[in-house]
Amino acid sequence: MTPSALPAGLLTRWLRQGGLMAIIVLYTLYSALPFVWVGAMSLRTTLEISASHFAWPDVYHWEKYRIAWVDSNFAQYFWNSTLVVGAAVAIVTLFGAAAAHCLARYNFRGNRLVYFILFSSIVFPPQIILISLFQVLVEYNLYNTRLGLVLVYVGLQLPLTVYLLEGFFSRIPQDLFDAAKIDGYGDFEIFWRIVLPVGMPAIATTVILNFIQLWNEFLFAVVLVSEPGLRTLPIGIRAYMGDYFQDIGMIATGMMIAVIPVVIVYAFFSEKLIQGMTAGAVK
Amino acid sequence: MAHVQLDHIYKQYRGTATPAVDDVSFTVQDGEFMVLLGPSGCGKSTTLRMVAGLESITAGALSIDGRAMNEVAAKDRDIAMVFQSYALYPHMTVAENLAFGLKRRNVEAALIQSRIAAASGILGLDELLQRKPFALSGGQRQRVALGRAIVREPKVFLFDEPLSNLDAALRVNTRNELVRLHHRLGATMVYVTHDQVEAMTMGQRICVMNKGRVAQIGKPLEVYRAPADVFVAKFLGNPPMNIVGARVAVQDAQPWAVLPGGTRLPLAHWGTALADGQAIQVGVRPEELSMASDAGGDDSVLKGVVSAVEPLGAETLVVLDLQEGGGEIIARLHRDTPAALGDRAALQVRPQALYVFDGATGKAIPVEIQA
Repeated sequence: MTPSALPAGLLTRWLRQGGLMAIIVLYTLYSALPFVWVGAMSLRTTLEISASHFAWPDVYHWEKYRIAWVDSNFAQYFWNSTLVVGAAVAIVTLFGAAAAHCLARYNFRGNRLVYFILFSSIVFPPQIILISLFQVLVEYNLYNTRLGLVLVYVGLQLPLTVYLLEGFFSRIPQDLFDAAKIDGYGDFEIFWRIVLPVGMPAIATTVILNFIQLWNEFLFAVVLVSEPGLRTLPIGIRAYMGDYFQDIGMIATGMMIAVIPVVIVYAFFSEKLIQGMTAGAVK
Repeated sequence: MAHVQLDHIYKQYRGTATPAVDDVSFTVQDGEFMVLLGPSGCGKSTTLRMVAGLESITAGALSIDGRAMNEVAAKDRDIAMVFQSYALYPHMTVAENLAFGLKRRNVEAALIQSRIAAASGILGLDELLQRKPFALSGGQRQRVALGRAIVREPKVFLFDEPLSNLDAALRVNTRNELVRLHHRLGATMVYVTHDQVEAMTMGQRICVMNKGRVAQIGKPLEVYRAPADVFVAKFLGNPPMNIVGARVAVQDAQPWAVLPGGTRLPLAHWGTALADGQAIQVGVRPEELSMASDAGGDDSVLKGVVSAVEPLGAETLVVLDLQEGGGEIIARLHRDTPAALGDRAALQVRPQALYVFDGATGKAIPVEIQA
């Protein structure tokens, strides 16, 4: 059948769908290929990479992962990152959800003022507060501590978390809370049993966003923590970058180790996000 | 079951000039179905929420079964509420929704199960117990919301426009189900609605509210037949009562209502209650009007031009423009009434079917001489 013999509508539809498919394929390649490339480099030595940048591994150097984990102390960095980011995300999620619920649900004097103050801090680039933050942490003996870094991360992510969650929580119908009150539940129980489960899609979103942001966070980690044993993963990977030589192969291996938890967190919480949305969480 | 008493209840929100609920007093007897009826913004839902404990009471006294409730928390008032939006917990199954309130009160698991089974049996929820709200239709959700109230076995049931979100056919069915439920449980129920059909068919007594105040309380038919003012007269009845401004003219010791354009309507039953020259409003229900015969006199006949004809099948609504400032009159006539747009027509008014209201205040002026 020649193109001219096809109905005009069908041809247009094919072209349109084919065009869309082409765009999707191109974008997928654009997003995925760099990741595949880093994955490939993580299994090649730096010499092999220098010889041929984009080649697929001839020999799979799995021992590079062991070298990074054990010899280069990545195990310690991984643990530091897990501890710091895990604690920060947990605190931000809990406090952020509680704050968002109060701002969305309770009509107290100064409600909008608190919201505005919290939200307006997003406007400022973090670099502005870096030096003064350093001085504050030193003064409170929190410099070069994981606790200090956790507190800074909480402060950095709280405004955006509260903003996102407040918008979602305010759309939960008031009737749900009235019904729970009549059923005998107090304010905190309502927050725990109604708001958190019903707000799970939004909470899952903020967990994913916060985790990715903080897991990759470099600036505050490098300024506020100097002791090698307390370094987080981004700092650990940075150590492979010398003034004259960059160990590309090991950088790639380090990046792959760093990326695995992000993928796991995303997979787990996006499942919760989809479950919450398909359950029609908010009527 | 219990009786609910409201004494001079006020509710004023901070920063507002007028109270949302203004001196509302009524008593709901033990086992009675009381309907709070009124247009949007009249304060009926606010009143209900104060009874529930979801709104604070600015002034006045609320008691349930003789026990003062002003400072008692909602959870301790032994009431159950059914909301317009059903308010089902979306992350729980129907069974969990029904059990939620009972678990909080530390009711034994076996008792919870038996109450759920009983409510489920009454409302036909057996097959829905493991479903979540998103998998239910509107009518099913409404029944779950009812079930959640029933399992609590409260002293008072409160309903906040529960049928508003249902389609017309389902509304009729559910209305009848609620009446049967009331009959079965013998429960004290307070029901808020803006739908006069629901009020007339479901309530044992209705409390008509307007702008935060009680306009009239009484049995549905009593309120329909003897409205206390123009607002109640027009709110109940579909189409609403025709209200026309007029002046009283006393002739031979008998008062007449003189309409703009000269039409006279006899007000013999009002005797000396009306003064010559008094400004009044005359009301007549659409179903009390009939096509005037040519043999009739000019008194008690409203003449005008047909401005609309609505054949509804079972009956025909005819709108007559009285002209000369008289306004429009709607009549419910026989379905075969021959009337066409632009025709000159005349409607006969039975004097006994007339209502008289004060021209300024709108309050009903009762007859002096009973028919």
